[in-house]
Amino acid sequence: MPVWNEREECLGLEERVQQQWERLQSSLNRAHKNVPFYRNHFREEKIDPAQMETLSDWERIPFTFPRHFGENYPYGLFAVPLRDVVRIHTARGIELKPIVSGYTKQDIGIWREIMARALTAAGVSRADILQIDLDPGLANWGRHYKDGAESIEAGVIPLTLLPHEKQLMVLRDYKTSVLITSTSAALQLKDLLFRANLNPNSLSLKTLILVGEPTGAAVQRRIEEELHVRTWVHYGLSEVPGPGLAFQCEERQGLHVSEDHFFPEVVDPETGRSVPEESEGELVLTTLTTRAFPLIRFRTGDRVRIFSKPCPCGRTLRRMEWLPHRTDEMMIIRGVKVHHRQVLLLLSRFLGFSPHPHRFLVRRREFIDTLEVWLKVDEQVFSDEIKEMEKLCQRLEAELAQELGVPVKIRLKEEDSFSNVGSNGAIEDLRP
Amino acid sequence: MLRIRNLRCHYGRIRAINGVSLSVRPGELIALIGANGAGKSTLLQSICGLHGQWEGEILFQKEPLKGLKPPAIVGMGVSLVPEGRMLFPPMSVLDNLRLGAYVRYRRRENREIARDLDSVFELFPVLRERAQQPAGTLSGGEQQMLAMGRALMARPRMLLLDEPSMGLAPFIVRLILDILLQLKEQGMTILLVEQNARAALQIADRGYVIENGRIVLDGPAGELLVDQDVKRAYLGKDYREFCEGRT
Repeated sequence: MPVWNEREECLGLEERVQQQWERLQSSLNRAHKNVPFYRNHFREEKIDPAQMETLSDWERIPFTFPRHFGENYPYGLFAVPLRDVVRIHTARGIELKPIVSGYTKQDIGIWREIMARALTAAGVSRADILQIDLDPGLANWGRHYKDGAESIEAGVIPLTLLPHEKQLMVLRDYKTSVLITSTSAALQLKDLLFRANLNPNSLSLKTLILVGEPTGAAVQRRIEEELHVRTWVHYGLSEVPGPGLAFQCEERQGLHVSEDHFFPEVVDPETGRSVPEESEGELVLTTLTTRAFPLIRFRTGDRVRIFSKPCPCGRTLRRMEWLPHRTDEMMIIRGVKVHHRQVLLLLSRFLGFSPHPHRFLVRRREFIDTLEVWLKVDEQVFSDEIKEMEKLCQRLEAELAQELGVPVKIRLKEEDSFSNVGSNGAIEDLRP
Repeated sequence: MLRIRNLRCHYGRIRAINGVSLSVRPGELIALIGANGAGKSTLLQSICGLHGQWEGEILFQKEPLKGLKPPAIVGMGVSLVPEGRMLFPPMSVLDNLRLGAYVRYRRRENREIARDLDSVFELFPVLRERAQQPAGTLSGGEQQMLAMGRALMARPRMLLLDEPSMGLAPFIVRLILDILLQLKEQGMTILLVEQNARAALQIADRGYVIENGRIVLDGPAGELLVDQDVKRAYLGKDYREFCEGRT
């Protein structure tokens, strides 16, 4: 399989170490110089960027957590004047305030490069027609994939919010050869195809790029056998800065991290200390080239292992194994991250009161992963007209689905349905 | 070829360079741009052994330069074209060039030196015409050429240039930059320090931006040329162009 940018992807080890160190220093200097949040954050911990001489100095730098995005809404973490920003993305935060990230013209170019290399590693070329089918919660990723695919001159069917039947029609009639979708959506694709009376053999589809969820080899094999395709896993961040920052090559032994643009670390989620090479821990990312929205030691909540042994594909970018289960209470539904606190806040806003008790479940309903919200029927929700209660449910479903970007089902339940709800209110995963 | 890590330089209690890491790969032309007093010249002087008070690591072809005297560093293949040319004005152009090969005369490389003198004259034909003239009588552009020729006479593997465009007319600057490009095509590795950021970035492969002794930006030269921050700070864009409209 070809390599998109051989010079950068196959850089010698010594040069890589030097390049990363140079970029860590300049990234840190830029963040310190231009973003008050980072300057104060470092000052509190008595960190002087000029004193960073080794990786153990680096580990003294405080982490950035998802909550910091909300606290600095909307533009507080931008490192360039607003007039330099050419694209503004919004993603859901863990609470009500969204995460706003910006991109300069150079940032957009860098993302185009990152996506092009990830797609090239999956064998995508100008001969392909690439369709992007992601849930609305991952709309930002759709734009990056579109840009990257266009830069390798593939034909792109951009992300358009269509019902499943229409997506299938496009898949068949437009002769899509590459589909970018979440792993859970890919798992449901066979059933949806069969229901629509479509034989996978009748499609031009040959490549499936799976995003948004950790996907093991067994699941990849299952999808490949069911749909007669080859699958490739891409890792990205839905908050910021984007998708495909780690990608599978033809060896399928982990995902290569684009280390010329991101510095990955693995830490113990409890202590925050670095774990030994190849040990499991939480992925921490620092952007190395980003201009508008630099991230310094961002705790991703994703559980990974990173290993440096050389890959037969020739790339020297270190690889990571993306492990199931996150280190936090975030739930991934069709590739979209959802936090129970956010669901509760949204419900309270729509209802005008905080519903208690409640229960949040993820279930597969008619082949589609869905967030199911159970609310107790009490005097605040109860109406003697069934129609009114149905209307309330429909309104809540529509509003929650719009805000969260995943399918939602509201169910009104009697009190005894809530007897064994966990104390922290986290989303329960009941998917097979 | 050149690898610098965590360089810190002091002038007494004043810190001129504050943790700089930078690298130049073989055959690359790297531009280091920054305002007056940002630490550019100090960095070059540290590499050449002209400024001894530094901490950190400077490796040239994997060999540490710490503690080496300037002649030893020149002997390893690093030549500096200093800011303000630093020629020997009463001496002839030819003698100035010969002085550039000083460390090589001691190695009895006379025949090779004569050949190199010819190639310098080929690169800068005007120097052949003025060979017997005192260096001080040359024009600014010719002096700059002489300074470059003198540095080349040491047969360097890497050429460091400190503000070669300073005080020169734009067409001479263009000429000097074209010669640098020619040298690059011949395989020379070049670290170019410039305040004239646009000129430097137009010919460089990559660039570093230094501010107050720290690197704040690096990347492919083409990207830096269009970077709004670089444009504002170093390319002399009309300030209003940036301030009108969005804030």
